[in-house]
Amino acid sequence: MAGSIALPQPRAVSIPGRILALLPGVLLLAAVGYAGKFIEQSMARYGKAHHLVLPNIEFVLWAILIGLVISNTVGVPALFRAGVATYEFWLKVGIVLLGARFLVGDVLHLGGISLGLVFVEITLSLIFMTLLGRAFKLKPKLTTLLAVGSSICGVSAIIATQGAIDADEEDSSYAIAAILALGAISLFAFPLIGHTLHLSDRGYGLWAGLAVDNTAEASAAGALYSDAAGKVAVLAKTCRNAMIGFVVLGYAIYWASKGKAAKVQNKAAFLRSKFPKFVLGFLVVSLVASIGLFSKPQITAIGNLSRWAFLLTFAGVGLRTNLREMLKQGARPFLVGAIGEVAIAGLTLGLVYGAVQVFNL
Amino acid sequence: MPQSPVPSKSRISVDTWAVIIALLAVVLVRTGILKDIPW
Repeated sequence: MAGSIALPQPRAVSIPGRILALLPGVLLLAAVGYAGKFIEQSMARYGKAHHLVLPNIEFVLWAILIGLVISNTVGVPALFRAGVATYEFWLKVGIVLLGARFLVGDVLHLGGISLGLVFVEITLSLIFMTLLGRAFKLKPKLTTLLAVGSSICGVSAIIATQGAIDADEEDSSYAIAAILALGAISLFAFPLIGHTLHLSDRGYGLWAGLAVDNTAEASAAGALYSDAAGKVAVLAKTCRNAMIGFVVLGYAIYWASKGKAAKVQNKAAFLRSKFPKFVLGFLVVSLVASIGLFSKPQITAIGNLSRWAFLLTFAGVGLRTNLREMLKQGARPFLVGAIGEVAIAGLTLGLVYGAVQVFNL
Repeated sequence: MPQSPVPSKSRISVDTWAVIIALLAVVLVRTGILKDIPW
């Protein structure tokens, strides 16, 4: 993956061998994540013991910062890379488990609002990014990749679209690098703007879920604000992820009609293959929790497992972000992405302000 | 004309593995094998 550290797949053939190859990196994720948690708790204890008012900096930020420092100074050694790449796996595990902390009523209410906003956001973002790409004379397929990456779900959407429209590896690398670099900036910019505007947890979570591209960064940007905002950000982002199949299918049909991509023979199978399965897992767990199949301590236990999975994810966000590698990818795609991101962030903020007023969030 | 973008291989994706592992954890908590997970 360009723009981030190289993520080679383990070459071992047996399942125990593969797990063994992942172990060092997973342990590194755990160590970095736990160090973040340890610093947060130590600061709180120190402040209490010495009657000092220290800023409450969440473990999320510490884990990301420690990861960033390692990745951008000594680098992540090859031994750890395959395991570090599992952060997306832990993200999906965390999202499915988070379903236990949502009642179906909440999912339908907030998810319904999110879906409506997602529809508007995706439509306007795709149009805007396409026009912007043309104005900056980017290659049409690179423009498509940037549009999909910034309107739906970052890297996953770019990879799915690259295969569907037969885009160049190079275009895909540019788009991924731009989206990852902008995601890293969002992590720090969004909480600052949210606090400045005094957004509510739900309003901010909705905004982060709608505007931050990658699912890992959107979850982290939400969690950096508050636990409640993190939950809403994941829900809103999950709604956005659910749309990936439809948008990628639309682009595949468009490029096929121009004779520049393969024809989609079976649209239902295409949609099924692109639909993120963790969205279904999240809904199943939420449904099971809503019918009262779990006791309160069990919901707490599942919620805590979800937090541990997210802890590994947030450590991975920092560890896979190599700023120098991203900057090497060139300025124009980044500039188009940056202008688009700012516009989309402004647009979604307006949408969220409207939704907060109308639905009293 | 290139091949259809629908993957023909039926390998379990990372996405599906994540759902399987998460649901397994939920079952373990429900049956009481996993309990009192600290945070």
